[in-house]
Amino acid sequence: MSERRKVLIVDDDPDFVAGIRAILDREYDTVVAYNPKDGWDALKKDRYDLLCLDIMMGRGAEGVMMARKIRRDKELRNMPVLIITGLREQIAFLFPGQAVHPGFVPVDELMEKPVEPDLLLQKAAALIGASEARQGR
Amino acid sequence: MSGQPRRILLIDDEPIVVDSCLAILEETEHEVAFASSGAAGLDMARAFEPDLVFVDLKMPGMSGLEVLEALRSQDPTIVCIVFTGFATIAAAVEAMQHGAYDFLAKPFTPDDFRSMIRRGLTQRDLLVERAALLREREALRENFAAIVSHELRSPLAAVQQNLFVTIAELDGVVSEDQKRRLERMSSRVGELLALVNRWLRGFSTDVAPLRESFRPVAISGPVANAVESAQTEAVRKAIEIVSQVDPSAVVLGDGGALTEAVLNVVGNAVKYSRQGGRVSVSAVRRDGKVAISVADSGVGIPAADLPWIFDAFYRGQAGASGVAGVGIGLALTRRIVEAHGGCITAASDPGRGSVFVIELPALKTPVPGPGVAPPEQVSKGEAA
Repeated sequence: MSERRKVLIVDDDPDFVAGIRAILDREYDTVVAYNPKDGWDALKKDRYDLLCLDIMMGRGAEGVMMARKIRRDKELRNMPVLIITGLREQIAFLFPGQAVHPGFVPVDELMEKPVEPDLLLQKAAALIGASEARQGR
Repeated sequence: MSGQPRRILLIDDEPIVVDSCLAILEETEHEVAFASSGAAGLDMARAFEPDLVFVDLKMPGMSGLEVLEALRSQDPTIVCIVFTGFATIAAAVEAMQHGAYDFLAKPFTPDDFRSMIRRGLTQRDLLVERAALLREREALRENFAAIVSHELRSPLAAVQQNLFVTIAELDGVVSEDQKRRLERMSSRVGELLALVNRWLRGFSTDVAPLRESFRPVAISGPVANAVESAQTEAVRKAIEIVSQVDPSAVVLGDGGALTEAVLNVVGNAVKYSRQGGRVSVSAVRRDGKVAISVADSGVGIPAADLPWIFDAFYRGQAGASGVAGVGIGLALTRRIVEAHGGCITAASDPGRGSVFVIELPALKTPVPGPGVAPPEQVSKGEAA
């Protein structure tokens, strides 16, 4: 493997972040933002190969707002987004009447907390790989 | 009279009554409207949205009682007071049984009228407050999943996440015994998370949208799937599940949800059965209904508990296996069954077993053809 890829984690629970950061650190350079605003600033400042995003932050589903904002952004829309959230039903509650599926927001993958370390690394590698293949890198 | 102005509607066909009431109300700050017939009064009530309505019982055309009922269905927090002559006190009592708050016998003094307004408005405040509390409680129930999910689940998820990574990091560093203890911790936290998830799913599963995707379902499919899912536990306890399903029993519904509903009942039957027992599952068409019945010869349910078993968080005493439920399964089953326009009932002979019956409206003649699901193949669930 050549240079290490960069992953940004945006989640407001420092303990949970510690638990996934230790996993991702094995293979990636990780940066953490503990709220959506810092996360957005980080995305604007540096280029990341993957974003791990929490849904329930702040006063509600601020993670969803962030994912939508990313997809509207010309520079960021190709970056893969992995949503790591609480219960899938939480999403059903936020978006009643819609399918409980990552399709509710334009992200690439959705995982429930907690995540198995190996599964997390697998998903991260797959998302980064697919994104790079799409961009012909 | 104190407080902010309120809206009061008078409905009476006698101009003299209306005029004298208006004269009294003029001294107050309340907004007043009046109508001389029931129909006109109801029209007015829709736009005026009164806090308090005085309605005469005896009017030509629409009667006071009809007006009362229409008003209550428009907004149950509207307080209605009936005017009545002395001769019709019995009718006034009847009106109160129909939801009138009180009655005022004609002729009444201005003080009687003022005092009735005060009491009526106090009652209105109470009703409005009560309705708001009920709405709040309902919202809390509906949003329970989201609230608990964040408060209860997040810390557990964080603990589990760190256990995962710590166990991996300490591999080869700690002794086998220490590693085993860490893994036990992680496994217990996992159980707790699974428990919370089951509760949350039971509460938050919104069964109403299921109806949009209803299609003809041969009940043999869900029954066979449920029996198959319950087999693991049944085999472990040497319990035989026998099932007999009428292949023509077809309902309009959601196959997955029906499987979940039947599985909860069959799973319970297995859970509360003794080692080596027997669980019978049958589905028949009768009287325009499909009846799915699940009988066990297990520990049974005490008569005192029977009325509560379909409520959330009711849980039976530990079954023969010593495993008690989390008290969500049957509540969820009932919600699914009711979303299908059906009902679920239970009967039990404590110590000898229970019978649960799910009744669903049968689809009349299942005509095979495009748009109609062919009855699913009956698997091993069907009796030999």
